[in-house]
Amino acid sequence: MLRALAAVVVVTLGAIAAAAYFALFVVHVNEQAIVLEFGKPVRIISEPGLYWKIPVVQTVDTFDKRILDLDTAEQEVTAADQKRLKVDAFARYRIVDPLLFYQAVRDERSVRSRLSPVIESALRRVLGSATFTDLVRDKREALMKQIAKQVNDEGKEFGLEVVDVRIKRADLPDQNQKNVFDRMRAERQREAAEFRAEGTGAANRIKANADREVTIIKGDATRDAEQTRGEGDAERNRIFADAFNRDPDFFGFYRSMQAYEQGIKPGDTRMLLSPDSEFFRYFSNPSGNVTGQPKR
Amino acid sequence: MPWSSQNGGGRKSGGGGGPWGQGPSGGPHQPDLEELLKRSQDRLKQVMPGGSGLPGPVLFLIAVVGCALVAFFAFTFRVNPDELGVVVRFGKPVRQEPPGLHFRLPYPIEEVRLPKVTRQNIIEVGFRSGMTSRGFPGGVSDRPEESLMLTGDENIVDVDFVVFWRIRDAQQYLFNIQNPEVTVKEVAESAMREVVGQSNIQPILTEARQKTEQAVQKLMQEVLDTYQAGIRIEEVRLQKVDPPTQVIDAFRDVQAARADRERLQNEAQAYASRVLPEARGEAERILQAARGYKEQTVAEATGQTSRFLKVLEEYKKAPDVTRRRMYLETMERVLGGTDKIIIDGKAGQGVVPFLPLDQLQKRKEGAN
Repeated sequence: MLRALAAVVVVTLGAIAAAAYFALFVVHVNEQAIVLEFGKPVRIISEPGLYWKIPVVQTVDTFDKRILDLDTAEQEVTAADQKRLKVDAFARYRIVDPLLFYQAVRDERSVRSRLSPVIESALRRVLGSATFTDLVRDKREALMKQIAKQVNDEGKEFGLEVVDVRIKRADLPDQNQKNVFDRMRAERQREAAEFRAEGTGAANRIKANADREVTIIKGDATRDAEQTRGEGDAERNRIFADAFNRDPDFFGFYRSMQAYEQGIKPGDTRMLLSPDSEFFRYFSNPSGNVTGQPKR
Repeated sequence: MPWSSQNGGGRKSGGGGGPWGQGPSGGPHQPDLEELLKRSQDRLKQVMPGGSGLPGPVLFLIAVVGCALVAFFAFTFRVNPDELGVVVRFGKPVRQEPPGLHFRLPYPIEEVRLPKVTRQNIIEVGFRSGMTSRGFPGGVSDRPEESLMLTGDENIVDVDFVVFWRIRDAQQYLFNIQNPEVTVKEVAESAMREVVGQSNIQPILTEARQKTEQAVQKLMQEVLDTYQAGIRIEEVRLQKVDPPTQVIDAFRDVQAARADRERLQNEAQAYASRVLPEARGEAERILQAARGYKEQTVAEATGQTSRFLKVLEEYKKAPDVTRRRMYLETMERVLGGTDKIIIDGKAGQGVVPFLPLDQLQKRKEGAN
């Protein structure tokens, strides 16, 4: 009796478990689901929670509700000014209309093949009408918004919302890159030459300044020196004048005597003398009063 | 669907409660349990023939302990210090638990996600440091396709940088974006190129590093916030910002030229600071010489005058005699050393004296 009851309980529990297993399903917070009845969509579930379905008759397809990645392949585009660029973009999108998505794309694996061409053509369209500098420097943000908007418009047909399209890389093709390197090198060489020339110029300026100052210093010194010498000479004259003025006549005599002695050096002078000069006063006449009285 | 994993390949086999997670010691389960135990006992007996089976109550106890253990693991979870426990009930996040041991309902009802919220994550762009998970420092490998980028003045720079990020909102992080690591990296590359593209090459290489870092960090944060990624960018750090290897020699030469400029100027300065003191010294010498001349001149003059004055003093006492004496003494000295020809005017009157001066000269030279 007890065993029979136990068996019934076990079977009942098993049945409940089986029913629960087949009829209940969980939709996670990062998922959304559509319930299909023999392929016909009957319910769209976008809120997380525990849901039921009719076993066998209904099946559930879940889709990601998160923001999903899509990285496109690198492609070369031509900007409006004919410059070529290698552009690598990525998109972030989410599935907002699971039913439409299911009908148009079916599953996430196919998104890449459907959305990539859309992104690529939007890139070409938008970047083709922008210049190189717009893309690199001036309007990158605006261009990316424009691309995202175009992709978003087309993505709506697939039940997608394109949150963002960003240009990850926008680089030059190898050939152009080489040209840029050449130009950079030339610019640097010019800069280096300029620096060296500046250095030489500055050095010359400094040296010239120094030389000029040297000349000025020496000139000033010479001027002051001459002045000092002049002062010395003036002082000398004053001293002489002071002294000699006390007896100009004697000074004349005294100075003459000195001058004779200095001026007539032994050995280089030959004199023709008349014996009637003062020096020879006693030469022929011991009394000394013949011809030459000393001039007074 | 999820149910199966518990009943089928669940981590704890069998014994525990039903799919609903009810208590393990429900009455109806006993027959099953007994049967199970009996079977295992049989197996034990086969392994050890002759060994007597354990008494029934002991087996029962073991079963109860086993069930309790299973229940413990089914009803609790552990959150490590670097984690946050996000409890999801039927797909809906219901609560977040700090590190420690916490209660939960068993698997199909509640699930726990354990994001490492305190960990600082690092993303390297432009290079791989080769730091493996074990912490072996490998060689740094460059990724030119990531690190070469265009600047606003159409130059190219080689930029390596790292991004440090942390989970800010665990729920957003877990449930809003598909691939957080990849997303951060792609956003980082995009943001860096955008910021670098708006600047010229020179500031990027030199003084604008910090500005660049901050701008990239801000831009990344804005973009990630539009994704509601639940990620905080803590720091963007530029590692290497160089000209590309293809042109780095030219850049180095610019540095060398800059150094040359300094050197030339310094040399000129050195010349100036050598020449100027020399000139000042020379000037001083000239001045001192002049001063010396002046003093000498004055001293000589003073000397001469004082000599003169002394002589004058004596002269005044006996002018005539002194004068004559001085005259004679001087003439004595003067005439003593010179060749002399004395012609008596009266003796030679009327005769033109013939004086062969050149012969006299020769004779003198011959005598010498």
